[in-house]
Amino acid sequence: MPREARFITPRRSRTPALPAMPLLGALAIAACISVPPDKPDPQAALVAKGRDIFFNETFNGNGRTCGTCHREDNNFTIDAVLIARLPKNDALFVAEFNPALAKNFENPRLMREFGLILENLDGFDDLANRFTMRGVPHVLGLRNSVASPQGPRTGWSGDGAPADGSLRAFAVGAVIQHFTLTLNRVAGVDFRLPTEDELDALEAFQLSLGRQADLQLPLALKGTVPKRGQEIFLDDRLGKCNICHRNAGANATLGGRDAGNANFDTGVETLPDQPARLTGELVPRDDGFGRPGDGTFNTPPLVEAADTGPFFHNNAIETIEGAVAFFNGQTFNNSPSGRFLASIDPNGIGIRLDGTQIVAIAAFLRVINALENIRQAIELLQQSEHLGFSAREEAKRLLRRAAAETGDAVDVLAGGGLHPEAVAELARARRLIERAARSSFARHDLAREAIQAQEKARAELIVEPK
Amino acid sequence: MRTLLNGTAILVAMLWAISHAHGQKATEQYIPIGQSPGVSQKYSSIGEIADVNAAARTVTIADRGGPRTVRITDKTRIWLDRTKLKQTNLSGSFADLQKGRRVEVKYEDPARRDVADWVKVEVVQP
Repeated sequence: MPREARFITPRRSRTPALPAMPLLGALAIAACISVPPDKPDPQAALVAKGRDIFFNETFNGNGRTCGTCHREDNNFTIDAVLIARLPKNDALFVAEFNPALAKNFENPRLMREFGLILENLDGFDDLANRFTMRGVPHVLGLRNSVASPQGPRTGWSGDGAPADGSLRAFAVGAVIQHFTLTLNRVAGVDFRLPTEDELDALEAFQLSLGRQADLQLPLALKGTVPKRGQEIFLDDRLGKCNICHRNAGANATLGGRDAGNANFDTGVETLPDQPARLTGELVPRDDGFGRPGDGTFNTPPLVEAADTGPFFHNNAIETIEGAVAFFNGQTFNNSPSGRFLASIDPNGIGIRLDGTQIVAIAAFLRVINALENIRQAIELLQQSEHLGFSAREEAKRLLRRAAAETGDAVDVLAGGGLHPEAVAELARARRLIERAARSSFARHDLAREAIQAQEKARAELIVEPK
Repeated sequence: MRTLLNGTAILVAMLWAISHAHGQKATEQYIPIGQSPGVSQKYSSIGEIADVNAAARTVTIADRGGPRTVRITDKTRIWLDRTKLKQTNLSGSFADLQKGRRVEVKYEDPARRDVADWVKVEVVQP
């Protein structure tokens, strides 16, 4: 129990009588003083610095930060629903109010309708015609999803970073592409480039986000349908998902060897009726990795998928069920990856699933996403418990994130009609967290109660190791 | 099962053949000479062009380690770094590789250092 919590009972803190306020204030101050300062942790300091840069540093550009697109309250990504709630002067919409960026910087319609961002991956020589429209990938679990034997893979096609192609260098490319004041993109005029120290901090912060290790499947799931979904997922003759998404992550096991994060041509770019193209706006073909591209895109992690849609590099599919169904369709099965899977199948089949099996895999993905939400929420709640009165603003931030994670778990499970008891427990946990964020003195008790509710919900989803 | 393993082994080979994960070069155009993170001075040379051989499509760079001749291929990107003029950087060509100009050359193979992956040419006069 944190020391300050011993001084403040829930009853006193929830309805403090006015005469008691000076006493409570003194107790709170005493509590803060009584907590011995932690030893300086250089890594934590670097991560904190990276966080500050990620959300606040505009690099003297057009006002955008990394957090403009990678929103902390939206799983470090954006989608059309979130975009609709943003004020008109949000830096995301800079192309709508900065005349120098009015043309060839973004497509406001595609941004607002589908959450698509303009990228000049094949060069800047023909801005009007040569560009791609891509969704914003979340940056969770990067520690497990960037490395490959051929070098780091960043962005949707694995070649998102300039220089050495590393996650560390990614920020440089992002500043040049997305932060510029004008399309001249002159360093020192339209933006400043991140310093080496800033790149170190940004990398440390991004690597600190989300899972620090891959799952070890199979999990002892309790739900009948998610359990079956996991079986199909792991079956190399049926779902075949685990070949490229080992342990539902972003790494492949090919020929019995760890292939790390790999690129595949799954045919997504040739899908019929792609939402962005239905508008009639110019959406040039995205040729993926390289310049000119080879048509491949890299493998995203699946643990975080269910609450970070829309799916694929072009936000072509809105639901997790739809994303799974894609691999059952003609486009995938006629693609190089689909044809390859068929070539090694005894019956010549790429991937062929029925409706119930698609939904079962999606249910599995929903459950592992919810388990990750719960893990993160508990971690955030525990972190908030260690913060005293003087750090209440930071505690509130952590609690807001915990509430968002918990809300995601509710949405992800409820959206698939899964585990209603867990959903009820998670909804209770969310209410407790929201109360904790509003409370000055009962914060710790409410957070602890919320953790218990989270654990109860988790026990509905999975058999916990004893 | 053996078929599956053989097949995936082929896929591994296929993937490794086609997808060397190197940096995306488009935004590299706007990074001034010497400021490419993880590359500048490590996998690149910075110096003046000492010689140009148009027939052989090679340039010799006088960098700190002495003269080094590198080959310019059709895949080599050439950019004009006009940052000092506060003007936008442009795509260039072999003709922009002129004796006396300061350049940064990134090598395709950092060990061999004989073929240029990209070249940035500093432009200091309009």
